[in-house]
Amino acid sequence: MRTEWKDGARSRTVEIAPLGNGRYRVSVDGVPIEVAAQRLGAGRLRLATPGGGFVAEVTASARQRFVRLGSLEFVLELEPAGRARAKSAAGGGLEAPMPGVVTRVMVSAGDAVEPGQALVAIEAMKMEHLIRSPRKGKVRAVHARKGEMVAGGTALVELEPDAEPAA
Amino acid sequence: MFRKVLIANRGEIACRIAATLREMGIASVAVFSEADRGALHTRETDQAIEIGAADARASYLDVEALIRAARAAGAEAVHPGYGFLAENADFAAAVEAAGLVFIGPTADQIRTLGDKRAARDLAGRAGVAIVPGAAGNTPAELAAAAQKLGFPVLVKAALGGGGKGMRVVADAAALVEAIESAGRVAESAFGDASIYLERHLERPRHIEVQVLGDGKGDAIHLFERECSLQRRHQKVIEECPSPAVNETLRERLTFAAVALAKSVKYRGAGTVEFLVGADSKFFFLEMNTRLQVEHPVTELATGLDLVRLQLEIAARGALPAQQAIDRRGHAIEARVYAEDAAHGFLPQAGSLARVAWPRAPFVRVDRGVESGDAVPVHYDPILAKVIAYGDDRARAIERLTHALDETRLHGVITNLPFLKALLRADAVRQAAFDTEWIEREFLAGFTALASAPVPEAALAAAALAELLGAASAGDGTGGVGGADARAEDPFAELGAWRLPGLS
Repeated sequence: MRTEWKDGARSRTVEIAPLGNGRYRVSVDGVPIEVAAQRLGAGRLRLATPGGGFVAEVTASARQRFVRLGSLEFVLELEPAGRARAKSAAGGGLEAPMPGVVTRVMVSAGDAVEPGQALVAIEAMKMEHLIRSPRKGKVRAVHARKGEMVAGGTALVELEPDAEPAA
Repeated sequence: MFRKVLIANRGEIACRIAATLREMGIASVAVFSEADRGALHTRETDQAIEIGAADARASYLDVEALIRAARAAGAEAVHPGYGFLAENADFAAAVEAAGLVFIGPTADQIRTLGDKRAARDLAGRAGVAIVPGAAGNTPAELAAAAQKLGFPVLVKAALGGGGKGMRVVADAAALVEAIESAGRVAESAFGDASIYLERHLERPRHIEVQVLGDGKGDAIHLFERECSLQRRHQKVIEECPSPAVNETLRERLTFAAVALAKSVKYRGAGTVEFLVGADSKFFFLEMNTRLQVEHPVTELATGLDLVRLQLEIAARGALPAQQAIDRRGHAIEARVYAEDAAHGFLPQAGSLARVAWPRAPFVRVDRGVESGDAVPVHYDPILAKVIAYGDDRARAIERLTHALDETRLHGVITNLPFLKALLRADAVRQAAFDTEWIEREFLAGFTALASAPVPEAALAAAALAELLGAASAGDGTGGVGGADARAEDPFAELGAWRLPGLS
């Protein structure tokens, strides 16, 4: 999963690849490190790195994230899921309803789909969630890849714009 | 004693006044604007009455609405707090005309002492040195007065306090604009655009004396407060006693303050502000005829509750004897504001998703918000005061630093990083500062530090929280000092990541 952040006037990027067992490869601005993450509740995460561990506290407020490390506080702003989001606004994309792992991709670009047809499956909190087509149409692009971790709001599938005007 | 008191204010000071009323078994009545529905001060009083629209002029500054509320609630007295109508003589007069007690000085005293020109004349007559200054009614008159005083001059509102609209002007060219701008601020804050000019002293300290008068001619003092740590003429950290005041100077300052209070038969709590030079020469600045924001440092150092003393004076003219007043140890306060200190102290508004105040021995928190509360755009953005006490200054600073470290305010940008950096500055620890020190020597460095890149570890935590859906939307359960929060050292080496400027 790739997220982009506004840090004052700077743009920062974090890419996370799951390694299984609560471990992740986290690359901040391209510098990778292996991290074990454990949720402690109430916005707290215990993070263990090869160099040591720490507890972070994260509070979301709209797009702002207030991050506390020890007694230090930082404020970051989550950029809207850039490219994908912009496209989805134009073409009626289907977004991940929550953060999770893409477990199945059931369509490809160019496929014709029926209303209610399952397109992608996401697993989060040990529950599978199916993303279904809201209407009859044609798949323009599939952004989801099997095994990929996605943030809530990430566009997974894009349909061609509805050709027939609503009656 | 009163049975019921209306608090004509909001935020932390309304909560603080309510606390003493509760302790004394007096029923409390809060008032609130549309923007403050459900605000903390309405939850901590026995009764709360909506008085008008969000705009303060239609609510907290609406004299009629406040008196209607007091009457409707059956309150016998009104406590104005600080700001809003606390130093408005017409309000005090209207309260008394309605048959209620105004917890503060008489309307005449507010009018006289609140007018900086009249107050200076009074101080002069009471034998207190005054900073050379001048008034004028037109920009031309003011310009001539400024020439006579010599630049730089300080342009300020003739009424009111709190440094609102105050500006240092270096030359005649900048004067007109400064006068107009100060006039606008004064008009909107105090309802009077009158301007007053003063010669600008170099590197002075701001030291003030807490006084109490019984309204019959007796007055006492509760020692001094050091308030030199200011940014743009607004105090940020205050202490009692002042580390720059020795016994001789203390005697002279408190004597002058009490003389002024006695000369007007002052009633209630008031503060006489002085500018003190490096040579210990001091000048009368102004008198604030109300409870000060920073009153808690005096309370911790003397063990006296100033709100209780105000109530006792208002109810029966009772004043403690000067010999009974003592001072012990050191108290220091930090004002927590919703403002972005790294970007021109821009006021912030929004919703505080997560608030956790420090809990520790010798730490007091006067706060106006808890988790989930809103910070409206309409009012002064003060959120709280955190005050620490110690047997000496170093211990008090250490406790305050730790208390601020433990404070969590998530959801709105606050000045907490600024306060924490200030308390760690050598000049603050060594008490080597004046009223211009923050702007002259501290601010640029702080701004640079605050603009440094966020450390990789924080970005990783934010992104992982996003991925795992772990970010708290603020549930109020973020307890302070829990085992988890302190179990590990965040400063540990984080492999390939650096913690820039922090390791």
